[in-house]
Amino acid sequence: MFAFVLRRLAVAIPTLLLLIVFSFTLMHLAPGGPFTGERALPPQVLANLEAQYGLNDPLWLQIWNYLVGIVLHFDFGPSFVYPDRTVNQLIAAGFPVTLTYGALSFAAAVIFGVSLGAIAAIRHNSWVDYLAVGVSIGAQVLPNFVMAPLLVLVFTLWYGLLPGGGWSFDDPSFWIMPVIALATSYMASIARITRSSMLEVLGSNHIRTARAKGMPEHRVILRHALKPAMLPVISYLGPVFVSMITGSVVIDIYFSTGGIGKAFVDSALNRDYAVMMGVTILVGALTILFNLIVDVLYAWIDPKIRY
Amino acid sequence: MALLELRDLSVRFQTNDAEVRAVNDVNLTVEAGETLGIVGESGSGKSQLSFAIMGLLARNGRASGRVIFDGQNILNAPPKVLNRIRAEQIAMIFQDPMTSLNPYMRVSDQMAEVLTLHKGLSKRDAVAQAVQMLDAVKIPDAKGRVRLYPHEFSGGMRQRVMIAMALLCRPKLLIADEPTTALDVTVQAQIMQLLSDLQRDFGMAMMLITHDLGVVAGSCERVAVMYGGRIRETGPVGAIFAEPTLPYTQGLLDAIPRVDQDDEELRAIPGQPPNMSRPPSGCAFQPRCPYRRDVCATIDPPLEAFAPGRARACHAPVPEVLGRMTRAAPEPDQPAAHPNEAVPQPIPRGAVAGAGAAGTTSTTEGQ
Repeated sequence: MFAFVLRRLAVAIPTLLLLIVFSFTLMHLAPGGPFTGERALPPQVLANLEAQYGLNDPLWLQIWNYLVGIVLHFDFGPSFVYPDRTVNQLIAAGFPVTLTYGALSFAAAVIFGVSLGAIAAIRHNSWVDYLAVGVSIGAQVLPNFVMAPLLVLVFTLWYGLLPGGGWSFDDPSFWIMPVIALATSYMASIARITRSSMLEVLGSNHIRTARAKGMPEHRVILRHALKPAMLPVISYLGPVFVSMITGSVVIDIYFSTGGIGKAFVDSALNRDYAVMMGVTILVGALTILFNLIVDVLYAWIDPKIRY
Repeated sequence: MALLELRDLSVRFQTNDAEVRAVNDVNLTVEAGETLGIVGESGSGKSQLSFAIMGLLARNGRASGRVIFDGQNILNAPPKVLNRIRAEQIAMIFQDPMTSLNPYMRVSDQMAEVLTLHKGLSKRDAVAQAVQMLDAVKIPDAKGRVRLYPHEFSGGMRQRVMIAMALLCRPKLLIADEPTTALDVTVQAQIMQLLSDLQRDFGMAMMLITHDLGVVAGSCERVAVMYGGRIRETGPVGAIFAEPTLPYTQGLLDAIPRVDQDDEELRAIPGQPPNMSRPPSGCAFQPRCPYRRDVCATIDPPLEAFAPGRARACHAPVPEVLGRMTRAAPEPDQPAAHPNEAVPQPIPRGAVAGAGAAGTTSTTEGQ
C-alpha cells in the first residue's frame, strides 16, 4: 500500500507537468491577450508591456521560464491585470476562504446526504423514504444561483438574521448561507447514491446471513451494510470535494465571499494568464491528490482490492 | 414434543401484479436429533418455508400459521425474541457460499461476533472458539486462516466456514438450504459427509432442503416432498425411495441419472413448475401429471396418512393406478390412465432434466 502511494505520487509529477504545458499552450492559442482592451493601447506602450511580461519570447521559452519559476522559487508570477499583486498573493488571499466554506459544505453534504440516503433505504417504501426522496429531488432541482438569492431574501431581508454577504474568519454567521447554498445539491446527489447503494447491499445474501446470526438490525446496518454501501459514494466524493474546495463562482458572486472561484472566472475573462495558470494547477494538483485518497479508501474498505 | 412443529404455515408475497402464494398450509414436525429432507423443484416453496421459520422473508413477504419451536410460537415474533433464537437455537446455512459470507470482513470477525453477541465472550475467547470450530469442520491451518477474508477461500472451504459459523452456539436445529447446490460434485460429497458427522457429534436436528434426491437418500431419515408450496408426500426415506406413491415423487426419482442403466436420455418431468401467482385449479401438479383424473382438476387433495408414518396428497397414487392398469384395461370413465401419457415423455435434445435444473438456475443470483 505504501509503495502504491509513493508510486502514484511519483506519477503525479509528470501528470502535472503535462497539464501545465497543455493549458499554457491552449491559453496562448486563444485569440486576444491580457492587454487587448476596448481602447487600443499605443503600440509603443503595448510593446513595452509585452516585453516586460516576456510575451514576445517564443512559446517554449515562456513555458520553460514559467516552470523554472515554479520549481525553483514556487513563484507563479505576477498578475497581468493587477500589477501590484502576484498570483501567490491572490491565491493566498482567496483560497483559505474557499477552503473554509468548501470543506464545511462538503462535511454538511456528506453527513446529511449519507444519513438521509441510509434512512430512506432502511425504511424503504415508507413515508420516511418518500419524504427523503422528495427532499433530495427538491434539493437537486434547486440550482445554487436560485438558492443563494432566496436565502438572502429570507434570512437577510425578511428576518435580518444573517449578513447578506462578505466574509469573516471570526464570525461564523458569514459562513452559514454560502455553506447551505453550496452543499444542498451535492447533499441531494449523495443521498440518492447512498439510498440506492444501501438498498442493494441490504438485499444481498451476506446481510441475510448477518440477520440469521441473530444480530439486531442496527448492528446489521452499522457493521455489515454501511461499509460496502459507501463504496459508490466514495468514488463520487473525490471529485466533489475538489470542486467544492476550489470554489464556486456563484457563491463568490452572490455572497461576495472573495474566494478563488470568482478570481478564476475573472482571470479567464481578462486573459490574466498567470492567475488562470495558478488556479488550474491548484485544481489539477488537488484532483490528483483526492483521486489517490479515493483509491486508498477503496482498498481500505474492500479487501479484494490490493495494489 | 417435537422440536419444531409447523402448523398451517403459509407464505404470501405481495408483488405489483399479483399475490404469490409461495407456501400453502404446510404442516410438518422435526424431532430432536432427526434429519428431515425437504425436496422439490425450484419454486416449490422449500426455501421460503425455511426463511419463514427464521423470520428472514423478504420485505413484501407475509407468513401466517404457527412455527412452534420448543413449545413456543416464534412465527412473526418480535425481533428481540427471534434474535435470541437465531444462531443460538436454530442456525442456518445457505445455498451460495460465495456470497453468503460478508466479503468485507475477516472470517475471524464474522465468526467472533456470533459468540460476543450471544454468549458474551470477549473477542479473544470468541476467536479462539472460532478457530476450534474451523478445526472441527476440517479447515487446514485454521489458526492462520481465520485471519483471512472470504474471497481467499475456495467455494467448498467457504461453505465449511458457513457451517462452522452456524454451529458456534451449538444450535438444536440446523436448517441447511441447498448447502451443496453451488459446489462441484466431489466437494458436495465431502460437505454432506461433514454435515452428517457434525450432526451426530453435536446431536442436533437438521432440516435439509435440496432438490437432490441423492443427497436425501444419503443423509435423511424422513423426507417431505414439496410441490406448489404444499407438502405432497412424507414418509421415511427408504419407503419413499422403494415405493413412491405420488406421480410427482416418481417423476423426481426417474429424473435421477443412473449409472447402471444404458439410457442415453435423461427422464424429465414434462412441463414447468406452476406459477404461484396463478396456481392451477385443483392439484397443483395436475397439468403435468401422467395419471391425472377428472377430480384432480377440481379438488386439491388433502394430505392424508395411508400407512404408518406415511402421508400423501393425491387422487391418483401410483400403485393404485398401476395396479388397475395391470389388472384390466381402464374403464372408459377413467380417462386419467391414458396409456400414452402413463409413461413420462423422453425430453427433447438440449432440454435439462427437471430435478437437476433447479439448482443451476438459482445459484447465479447475487454475483
